[in-house]
Amino acid sequence: MKILVCLKQVPHQDARLDVNGDGTWIREEGIKFEINSYDTFALEEALRVKDAGEAEVVVASIGPERVSQALRTALGMGADRAVHLKDDALAGSDALGIAQALAAIAREEQPDLVFTGLMSDDGNASSVPPMLAHLLDMPHATAVVKTEHKDAGLRIERELEGGALELVEIDLPCLIAVQSGINQVRYASLKGIMAAKKKPIAAKTAADLGVAELVGAAAAKVAIEKIEPPPKGDRAEILEGTTDEIVAGLLGKIKELGLL
Amino acid sequence: MSLLVVAEIQQGAIREASYELLAFAARIGGEVSSLVIGDAALASEFAKRGGGSTWSASDAALANYNVDGYAAAILAAVEASGADTVLISNTPVGWDVAPRVAAALDAGFVSDAFDVQDGRYRRRVFNGKLDAWVRSSAAKTVVSVQPGALPAIDNQNEGGGEVKELALELPKLRARFLETRESDAGGVDLSQADVIVSGGRGVGDPEKFPEVIQPLAEALGGAMGASRPVVDAGWLPHEYQVGSSGQVVTPKLYIAIGISGAIQHLVGMKGSNYIIAINKDPDAPIFEVAQLGVVGDLFEIVPALTSAVTAARG
Repeated sequence: MKILVCLKQVPHQDARLDVNGDGTWIREEGIKFEINSYDTFALEEALRVKDAGEAEVVVASIGPERVSQALRTALGMGADRAVHLKDDALAGSDALGIAQALAAIAREEQPDLVFTGLMSDDGNASSVPPMLAHLLDMPHATAVVKTEHKDAGLRIERELEGGALELVEIDLPCLIAVQSGINQVRYASLKGIMAAKKKPIAAKTAADLGVAELVGAAAAKVAIEKIEPPPKGDRAEILEGTTDEIVAGLLGKIKELGLL
Repeated sequence: MSLLVVAEIQQGAIREASYELLAFAARIGGEVSSLVIGDAALASEFAKRGGGSTWSASDAALANYNVDGYAAAILAAVEASGADTVLISNTPVGWDVAPRVAAALDAGFVSDAFDVQDGRYRRRVFNGKLDAWVRSSAAKTVVSVQPGALPAIDNQNEGGGEVKELALELPKLRARFLETRESDAGGVDLSQADVIVSGGRGVGDPEKFPEVIQPLAEALGGAMGASRPVVDAGWLPHEYQVGSSGQVVTPKLYIAIGISGAIQHLVGMKGSNYIIAINKDPDAPIFEVAQLGVVGDLFEIVPALTSAVTAARG
């Protein structure tokens, strides 16, 4: 079995988020990046299939040079190969553009199973996985919290609201967008990190994949016009002072609420 | 503008969120038609209550959500209605099918919008820390709308729209619904607690929950909760989770410690009578829903507060 895992590198969850010069995204200079948290669960889910039997795990990502760090980490965790679509022409792509590029990679790889995260920690849109599945003419399922191989397909559990679950039987090949918490993600071992240095990362351009016309700002159907802080609600009154003064303020409020 | 509202059935009734889509459609402006998948009687009801000219896709194979069948039904309704804008709630059904439909239509896709002004849609990004205004330049646009974004419209008195059965040839269903299972709260019922003290990713370490969070909860005679990242990391079992995929709580006092305030957590606790937030990041969204806040080191403040509460109880 061949498994393709799509990874996105996103600003670190604790990174300082300043709006950039033209007000359409954040300032990316000088901040740390990491693998999108949901995608680490997707990679782990793929590695578990590999651990349980015979599977090749290929990771794919799109972005500038810094993305090779994310791919190295994935190889260190146990992925076999990586594909890095590194091309300035991708800048300004919308979700469908990204899905087109990933679909071109998938058509070269012909995976039996595609794993992605449910959403990204930056865009929060959950758009790319179902779009990618459509372009590959595969069924898909999102917010998946359990996968089990059964006959010619998978039996999966999707998370609904309030913790309820939906059981679905899905044919292979298919795309599974995993919910966070589906598994406990492993760390790359020292041995894994050493081995990763010898594993290949294939660099590709949009032209290599035949998607130059489908990606980038010119092809995008949706664009961000403006990024801004959310409207301020009735912001909390902030207690200031020494720890003793703050604690006295909190205690006073708890008493006022009749809870002491 | 011609809009198609995709209503959703949940437990035998049209969801409240579907009536919210009608409000969203009214804000965009234009002619509204609707689609109800899976139940012809409910299609009539939706048509009577503001859905306008309503398409019903009542094939028995659509009684439960499945991606191939629902995508085919929505695409057929877009074709039949000639809609240029499709609205669907950002629920487990909506987020699963809407992007797929958008790709099939070669449409612009706007995910989880909660406002629209002059053709620009507003949505949260970076887990609630920033907002983005986005615009679609495509001939067709699919928008998934955040449940609760706008108050529902229920136009019961406007007279009914026409209901038409949608001509539909279903494709092979490659993802098949088997069953739904209700959540098992596993013995931790936060709904009865007067006070809930919840810890988030900022607590930093699983050992700190019994050391720092639990003692304050106990001192206040309350219960301990947690945000999703804590549960995902395996620091606490799922039954402690407060949020849209965990428990929705409304205690007299909710203390959020080291929780930044992602939307999925806020949905689970914003109905609390009073909210106190303790976080080191002054820009954390949690301070926008809390009434009282402390910007500082939780490991300094929380143990001191626990001692003070214990002392006050005598």
